[in-house]
Amino acid sequence: MILENISLSLQKGKAKDVRTLVQDALDAGLSPREILNSGLIQGMNVIGGKFKNNEVFVPEVLVAARAMNAGLEILRPVLTQSGVKPIGKAIICTVKGDLHDIGKNLVKMMLEGQAIDCLDLGVDVDSDTIIAAIKEHEPDLLCLSALLTTTMIAQKEIIADIERARLRDKVKIMVGGAPVTEAFAREIGADAYSPDAASAAETAVKILTGQVEGNV
Amino acid sequence: MFKELSWYKPDLEKTVAMLEKLYRDALDRKGGNVTFRALPPTDVDFYDKLDLEKYNFEDGIKEYAVELCAMLENSFRARRIVDDNMLPTISPALGIGDYSAFVGGEIDFRKNTSWSRPILKEIGDWKRLPPLGTAKWYKKFLQICEEMLKISAESGIPFMRGFFSPLDLAHALRGEAIYYDFYDDPDALHELLDFCADATIKFAGDIYDLAEKYLKDAPYGLFYAKDVINMSEDIACMISGELYNEFCRPHTQKVIDHFGVGHMHSHSRAMYLVKEICGLNNVANLWLATDPNAPRPIDHLDSLIEDAAGVCLAIDCEDFSEIENNIDKLKKGNFSIALPVGDVEEAARLAEKFNRIV
Repeated sequence: MILENISLSLQKGKAKDVRTLVQDALDAGLSPREILNSGLIQGMNVIGGKFKNNEVFVPEVLVAARAMNAGLEILRPVLTQSGVKPIGKAIICTVKGDLHDIGKNLVKMMLEGQAIDCLDLGVDVDSDTIIAAIKEHEPDLLCLSALLTTTMIAQKEIIADIERARLRDKVKIMVGGAPVTEAFAREIGADAYSPDAASAAETAVKILTGQVEGNV
Repeated sequence: MFKELSWYKPDLEKTVAMLEKLYRDALDRKGGNVTFRALPPTDVDFYDKLDLEKYNFEDGIKEYAVELCAMLENSFRARRIVDDNMLPTISPALGIGDYSAFVGGEIDFRKNTSWSRPILKEIGDWKRLPPLGTAKWYKKFLQICEEMLKISAESGIPFMRGFFSPLDLAHALRGEAIYYDFYDDPDALHELLDFCADATIKFAGDIYDLAEKYLKDAPYGLFYAKDVINMSEDIACMISGELYNEFCRPHTQKVIDHFGVGHMHSHSRAMYLVKEICGLNNVANLWLATDPNAPRPIDHLDSLIEDAAGVCLAIDCEDFSEIENNIDKLKKGNFSIALPVGDVEEAARLAEKFNRIV
C-alpha cells in the first residue's frame, strides 16, 4: 500500500508527500531497492506512458520528476549503503547552436527516474566540451538533443568528432529532438533514437542493461 | 527600392477580395473558402542568407533595414508570376530574441536566428522591470520598423509583425520555471500572464501606430495590422487543454479583444488544442505548422474541420495531389494551404492548376 501511495503521490507531483512516504517505507523496513523500483520508478513509468499518449503534458512530468527527486534524496544514501548502484552513467546536452532545454531536461529526468546517473552539460554545447566530458566521466551513454532542423546537423558533426577523437567505441550515442528521425539517427551513425522522453528512458535502460546494442 | 504593391501582385484586387472573404466567413463560422500559397525557395531562403551577427544594431540599423528590404524585394519580384493568394508583406526578421527582449534583457544574435535568456528569476520579478516602453530593444525595434517603413511605405506593401501570446512571452521571460508555476503559484502566474498581455498590447499598439503613420494612405498597408493581432501559441503545445483554458485563454483573449481579430499560430503537435484556440472569440485564422515526427494536419481534416468550427486553418502539404484529393473536404471548412515547390515556375504552374480546381 505504501509503495502504491508513493507512486500515486509522485504522479500527482506531491514532492513533500513522496519524501515523507519514502521515509515511512524505510522506517517500516521495506528495502531501498523495492521502494525505488515499485514506488518511485513505477510512478515515473506511469507518468512516462501517459506523456507518450498525450494524457499528461510537460508541467505534470516536471512536477512528477521533482517529486521523484525528493524521494531519491531520502533514498540515495540508503541505496548507496546497501550497495544498490545506478544501472549506468549518461551524459546529456543540447547541441551547439541550440538553446532549447526542455526536451533535454525531460529526458534527463526520465533517465534519472530509471536510476541512471545523469550529467547534464547544458545547452549550446560543442564537440570539444563533450569529448572532454567523455574522457573525464567515461559515461555509458551520450544523449544529444536538438530542437531545430538547423541544429540537428550538429549531432552529426559531434558524432564525427567523437570518432576522430577515437572515443566512438567507448560510448553509446542516442539522439533525439523534435526534427530528428530514426532515419536521420541511422544516417549520422548514432546507436539509438527516441521520439520522446519516455521512450528515451526505455531505450536507455535496454542499452545499459545489455538487452540491445541500439535501436537504429 | 520597392515598386507598387500591384506590380508584385498583378491580381491584387482578386487576392485581397479572396482573403477578406475568407477571414470574414471565418469570423462568421461559415466554411467554403480555400486559398493557396506556393512556397518557392525564393520565399524563404533569404532568411538563411540574412547574417544577423554581422549587423551592428547599436548604430547600423539602416544597413540592416536596407539589406533585409532588398532581400524581400528580390523575393517578391521572383514570385511576381505566381498567381496564388499570397499577399507580400514587410516584416522585420531578427530571429526570436526580439519577441521578448522588448520587455527587458538582451538579444543573443546567431547567424540566422537569435535568442533571449529568461530574466525573471522569481515569478514576481516582472514588477521590478523597467516601465514598459523603456527597454533597450523596445525602442530599438521601433527604430527598425521605422527604417523599414521609410523604405517600403511608398509601395503600399502591407506591414506585418507577429507577437508572442501572453504564455509564449511569459515562458521566454521566465524560462522553464514557468512549467512549475502552473502548480506552485497559479495566482502569480495569472498576474505574470496579465502583465504579458498588457506588454503585448502596448508594444503592438506602438508598432501599429508607426505603421499607420507611414501607410495610412495605402489601401492595403494595414491589412495585417491595426485591427488584427498575429500571435503565436507555441508553448501551448506543452500543456493540456485544461491548463490552456484556465491560464492562457483569458489573457490571450484580452489581447485579441483589444485589437479586434486574432490570427494565431501554433504547431501540429498541438492538434489537440485546435478546439481551444479556435474557440477564442474573434479568431479568424490559425496557422498550424507541421512539425517533424508529429501528425500532419492534412491527414486529419475531418477532426480539424470539426474542431476549428469555421476558423481558417493555414496548413501545409507535401504534394499538390493532396490538395486535389481533398478539395471537396477542404471546402467544408476554411483553409489556406501552403505547398513548398522547387522553383517559381512550378509555383506558377501549380497556382494556375489550383485556380482551376478551387
